[in-house]
Amino acid sequence: MPQQFEQAHPQQTSSDIEETILTSSQETQDQSDVLDDILDDIESTLETNAEEYVNSFVQKGGE
Amino acid sequence: MPQLRDSGTRSMHRSEPVPQAEMDGFCRIFGVETEYGVAVTGADSPVDAGQVAMTMFQPVVSRSRSTNTYLPNGSRLYLDVGSHPEYATAEARDPMDALAQDLAGERVMRGLARKAQDALRAAAGEHAVIHVFKNNVDSAGHAFGCHENYLVRRFVPLETIERQLLPFLITRQLYTGAGRVTEEGFQITQRADFLDEAVSSATTRSRPMVNTRDEPHADPDSFRRLHVIIGDSNRSQWATWMKLATTHLVLCVIEEAFRCGKPSGFEDCALDDPAAANRAVSRFLTGEAGFALSLQRHYYTVVERFLAKPSAHNNLSLTATNVMQIMTQWKLALDELEAGHYDALADRVDWAAKRRLFAALHKRRPDISFAQVEQLELDYHDIANGRLYASLSSRGQLHELLDDVAAERAMATPPSDTRAALRGRFVKQALDAGAQFSADWTHLTLTVPERREAVLLDPFSNEPTAEYERLMESL
Repeated sequence: MPQQFEQAHPQQTSSDIEETILTSSQETQDQSDVLDDILDDIESTLETNAEEYVNSFVQKGGE
Repeated sequence: MPQLRDSGTRSMHRSEPVPQAEMDGFCRIFGVETEYGVAVTGADSPVDAGQVAMTMFQPVVSRSRSTNTYLPNGSRLYLDVGSHPEYATAEARDPMDALAQDLAGERVMRGLARKAQDALRAAAGEHAVIHVFKNNVDSAGHAFGCHENYLVRRFVPLETIERQLLPFLITRQLYTGAGRVTEEGFQITQRADFLDEAVSSATTRSRPMVNTRDEPHADPDSFRRLHVIIGDSNRSQWATWMKLATTHLVLCVIEEAFRCGKPSGFEDCALDDPAAANRAVSRFLTGEAGFALSLQRHYYTVVERFLAKPSAHNNLSLTATNVMQIMTQWKLALDELEAGHYDALADRVDWAAKRRLFAALHKRRPDISFAQVEQLELDYHDIANGRLYASLSSRGQLHELLDDVAAERAMATPPSDTRAALRGRFVKQALDAGAQFSADWTHLTLTVPERREAVLLDPFSNEPTAEYERLMESL
């Protein structure tokens, strides 16, 4: 997708957004294949100790 | 008229009147404040996350002698109470500019985390990993925020904004919710179960939805800053853009109605029990929130009607985003939701992306534990070391409105058409010159080599004032 960085704004044109979205939803590629690839990508994440990972995240305060 | 007249900035600096064009039109300043959560895994010995957050901010402290600073792109970077790293985007006139700034914030945080991780590994072993979560809930049920700021014209009473906007904010989560796995099932928002009090009292009093301090960081007689706390942090760029863009359109309708002394069309939208409605929207997938789609359809229709009027200013003062584009995306999202085609939204709506992936995961590994799914969900939000979001986007399953180059550029470049341009230039030059400075949204102060100050009260103006020029000359 071409970007127009010489412009003052980092935007895509509206037709760019439309195009991105239309192409992505019209994809005919087998979605389950892609999802399989993604699950392969993250396989190693799931090999760590999930309980420990989740419980390590305790935050105080905020807002 | 306005009940809140307690702005601390009111009497301090009465300067030139606000340009009439700013009052007559629909131009708006957008901002997003994001609190990040910090955790460490894989360390040889227990590591305190608060300490890690301090380590992340060490480069900031050594530069600014404080954990609160402004960056050359005009944004604010600070360590909030409870060791939340926080990033607030510089003033943007367009949701797309705010999105670029928000993405820059993710990168700033990632940079700080990676650097701190190198230091941590020397002490706690090479497997130590720092996670920085752009989400809203930790494992113990503490919730924290992503706050949106909208500059709105003060002639609209706060009560009107709250009454007419709150039902919209609650129901827009259908397409802006970030989703959350819970033991009771998948919810489409992160925060609904933690915001009961906030949502209830928003209908009667202003605290939760609008900052009581009411610091507009602009002329307080003309503007107020609407501080929205009922929104999730989004990884989806589309969602960040959409939540700002659609909220802007609804605010335009409310402002124009007041300006003309006519009904907005949102008078009958009020929810009997907003807190219950908010929880129900979060459980949309169980079928208990049909009202949410009808309400969104109503808001959409009223905005559409408003846009068709000749009185609606061309493009509603957005500089980069085409208003019809927002409408197209809004309608499309509502259509797909109504048809139950949730997977069709998985390339832009955070909760739909998660839901589709978790379904695929359960299919592949029926024995997957709840903790593993929770872990994967956290990984989606981890902007420092997460893999899931990167995998989804690089395989074209989450589309991005701005690419890496644009995000990288926004780390160094403020929005060009607001006060942020002046602040950004000041911060950059001060850093380059090794000068000591401080700043807030309306003030720039140089302390060494000499003491000078500039006040920038108009957030829409990128025009250097005489005071600003003198300040810059000192550098």
